[in-house]
Amino acid sequence: MYLNYLASISRYIPELLLVMLMVGLILIETTYANDDKNKRYIFITAISGLVVTFISLLLNLDGKSETIFNNSMVIDSFSTTMKMIMVLGTLGAYYLSTISKEIYESLKTEFIIMAIGILIGGMILASANNMLMMYIGIETLSIISYVMAALKKNDERSSEAGLKYALYGGISSGIMLFGMSHIFGVIGTIQFTGMAANIAKLDHTQILIMMPSFVLFFAGIGYKIAAVPFHMWSPDVYEGSPTPVTTFFAIVPKLAGISALVRVTMIFFSTASPLSVMWVGLMMVIAALTMTVGNVSAIGQKSVKRMLAYSSISHAGIMIAGLVVLNKIGIQAIVFYSMIYLFMTLVAFYITNIVQDKYGNDHFERFQGLAYRYPYMAIMMSIVMFSLTGLPPLAGFVAKWNIINSLLSSKFYTLAIVLVLNSVVSAYYYLKIVRLMTLKQPESTEEIEGFGFLNQFIIVAMTAPVIILGIFWDSVMNIAYNAKLFIP
Amino acid sequence: MHGLDLLSWILWMPIIGVIGVLLIPKEQTTSMKWWALINTVITFVLTIVLYSKFDQSVAGMQPGLSVNIPWIPQFHINYALGVDGISLPMILLTSLLFMLCILSSWTQIKKSIKAYFALLLLLQSTVFGVFMAMDFFLFYVYWEVMLLPMFFLIGVWGGENREYAAVKFFLYTFFGSLLMLVGIVALYFATGQSETSFSILALQGGHFTDLTLKLFGASVSFSKLFFIFMFIGFAIKVPVFPFHTWLPHAHVQAPTAISVILAGVLLKMGTYGFLRIAFPIFPDSAKYFAEAIAWLGLINVIYGALCAMAQTDVKKLIAYSSVSHMGFVMLGLASMTVQGMNGAVLQMFNHGTSTAMMFFMIGIIYERSHHRYIVRPDGSRGFGGLYTQLPVYSIIFIIGMFASMGLPGMSGFISEALIFLGMYEKYTTITVLALFGLLIGAAYLLWMFKRMFFGEVNPEVKEYTDMTKLEVGYMIPLCIAVIVFGIFPSPILNMMKASVGQLVSLLATF
Repeated sequence: MYLNYLASISRYIPELLLVMLMVGLILIETTYANDDKNKRYIFITAISGLVVTFISLLLNLDGKSETIFNNSMVIDSFSTTMKMIMVLGTLGAYYLSTISKEIYESLKTEFIIMAIGILIGGMILASANNMLMMYIGIETLSIISYVMAALKKNDERSSEAGLKYALYGGISSGIMLFGMSHIFGVIGTIQFTGMAANIAKLDHTQILIMMPSFVLFFAGIGYKIAAVPFHMWSPDVYEGSPTPVTTFFAIVPKLAGISALVRVTMIFFSTASPLSVMWVGLMMVIAALTMTVGNVSAIGQKSVKRMLAYSSISHAGIMIAGLVVLNKIGIQAIVFYSMIYLFMTLVAFYITNIVQDKYGNDHFERFQGLAYRYPYMAIMMSIVMFSLTGLPPLAGFVAKWNIINSLLSSKFYTLAIVLVLNSVVSAYYYLKIVRLMTLKQPESTEEIEGFGFLNQFIIVAMTAPVIILGIFWDSVMNIAYNAKLFIP
Repeated sequence: MHGLDLLSWILWMPIIGVIGVLLIPKEQTTSMKWWALINTVITFVLTIVLYSKFDQSVAGMQPGLSVNIPWIPQFHINYALGVDGISLPMILLTSLLFMLCILSSWTQIKKSIKAYFALLLLLQSTVFGVFMAMDFFLFYVYWEVMLLPMFFLIGVWGGENREYAAVKFFLYTFFGSLLMLVGIVALYFATGQSETSFSILALQGGHFTDLTLKLFGASVSFSKLFFIFMFIGFAIKVPVFPFHTWLPHAHVQAPTAISVILAGVLLKMGTYGFLRIAFPIFPDSAKYFAEAIAWLGLINVIYGALCAMAQTDVKKLIAYSSVSHMGFVMLGLASMTVQGMNGAVLQMFNHGTSTAMMFFMIGIIYERSHHRYIVRPDGSRGFGGLYTQLPVYSIIFIIGMFASMGLPGMSGFISEALIFLGMYEKYTTITVLALFGLLIGAAYLLWMFKRMFFGEVNPEVKEYTDMTKLEVGYMIPLCIAVIVFGIFPSPILNMMKASVGQLVSLLATF
């Protein structure tokens, strides 16, 4: 028994590395935090720790898929790929946190440490193979998130964001737990593998009970993804939190939630049954609603961050749409979408944050005439906006195209049409930024300190994949293609 | 491989131009202009070479010129280019107009010259891409990428209300093309994701006649549904009547050269889409909806002409006249006869030259007057007596106007006559009604001419100078084109005869 655990540990090195990194950073922080110079060391340690984790994940990628710790976790190429995307997202948020003025200097190390905690939660969620692990993953993710949202201690909106996040989070995880207990009551096990086998044997009454239970179960995950109708918290939290935190929220918890949702869907519902019909119907409605509500709400926004929050809701909707086909093509499309989403989100938030730091707010008008002062940054922002809209030959188009592809391969015409109509709606507000940047004259000629050479270089480097993957995407598509879900 | 082939050279030559423009330092605007000009001249020469290599007896794609290189093998997406009798006139028109547009922008564009020429050349490449792509995915990519330079060209260098026009243009076209995208992917799966699932040529021939699909539980014909989708996508570009509202704004706000490109080339992409994609892929539905298309074309003709008559802004007047003239193309397409189709393709070319002339002329006068009112908002005349003051300008204007009107001996006449010939037997009522469109067309053009060129000489008109040598220089090729092809249209007709004939006989089998 114990030997079994030890044997499993070799596949669990990335998570363990992160735990050690987190503990180590806490120790360093408490000992040396008084000196500003030491902060840089903490930062460098954290970044190198993440890089090592990334490499160990990369090594894990080719290993065989298996369950570890008595079936409670599963390591497969799908979860590993998603974890790699999350680690990259964290790295992106880290660098942003060092240049951002929104987080108080004294709290920057805390952001770094907490982010690792959330990342660990997300990785647990991506690998969870039973109800308990899933719940632990969600809670690890959530509890630290609440603190992180309120990181700007003296700021009213940040505190509000933290409180709102905590309240919504508490309720939805309660609902989720309620659904889980129902499911456990009917099926008698919390292991996903065993549950899937038992579901096939249920009679009609039991299936009727299971239906609402799964809907309740979905509440917890839906809340993390910010799927409509559990999205209410997201714009307020995204706007109130410091931008690096927002960036982090838009990537790690969201993608962790998506990967958990993919796993749950594929394990329980990939075989035809009344439950699977119900789930697919539910996912279709949720996907359509999430896309539409996200896009329509984004139109009227004044704050760019809030607009991006709504847009990220709609992108989550598109990813959920890839789920309803219940097969590999859909998963492949979702993984590819996540990769592209990562780069687009990072660039958009980087530029928004730097502009916001300069002017103190992130209203659309602050972007006026950016093209005449920082042409490269305006071009990068435009590229990302067009990519988010889904315009070829940018990566966002390929990502969307893959989702449409998967939808039509299983003849979900209606959802595909809803998706493309949403793209048109989204084009309006993405164009708004492009329009302001290029077609208006700048309101001031002051220099924006954030756009130094290094930062510009990093932003350009992060935009490069958005362009390159739009034209030569078959290699990355192969990575997504190899991200196989292991169902024991 | 022996290096790049001719079609790829034409397609990528403007991109070389873009790179060159970007490398030239910002201050050296003159060398930038020269570079852009040389680049477009090379492209033009290459298209002439293409014309000389063209074998007019081949109906399908020219075998020696086609390209097919795998791009995304996993999805069977290829970099496939080809040229046939329908696309060659469009390619020639494109390279000619862009060359002239560089010349017309020489003095008219004053801000951000570098970005302007880079975007203009980028636009040229994407337009070539649309006319050459034989892979549906590639076609879609070029179709969409074209929006980017257009958005900025209208939005940055346009008139007062440019932002609204640019956004409207973008959203409209984007909406249409996304519906087309759904159609493309649906076709991909309908053909079983095979090697040729994105090949426009392999999809042609009406393979989807009997296919149905379920939509909200109802059974819908696959072919009809996606024909409508693609129809909307292309109709927005043409623009066909209910989808035309973006056009007047875009035209009026765009700078001269862009109006020329928009009217001369981009509108043709819509009708080219019908000829290349919608009709041959869904011939049964094309037949089914033919009469509806004809009626829409008629509405275009009449409504466009009536709108043009009511305009006080001369550029808007020409913009609406484009709506009217594209209606003739739609009528020719709907007739599905040899004469009608030939007339439609010829009209696409001829409208490209004559409308380009009109827009150039308006740009030239605008540079002098800084307004475009035929009648000012306060009721007084915007121009008047131009004829006595600017004789050269007036003569060239008359040539353009008569070509646009379809006067016998000018290019517009032949194509319109062919269209009427082709459709008379099938849609007699529509033909007769469309003839009134021609009459209204003559009316609004002559009326405009009378108000602008005759009558009392406006005091400010006296200060205008006549056309410069440069301006005359870039108008001459178009003057020659509208006159020569009016008397002697056979070079273009011979070019397209075989390809159009093939399409007509395909449609006749359904």
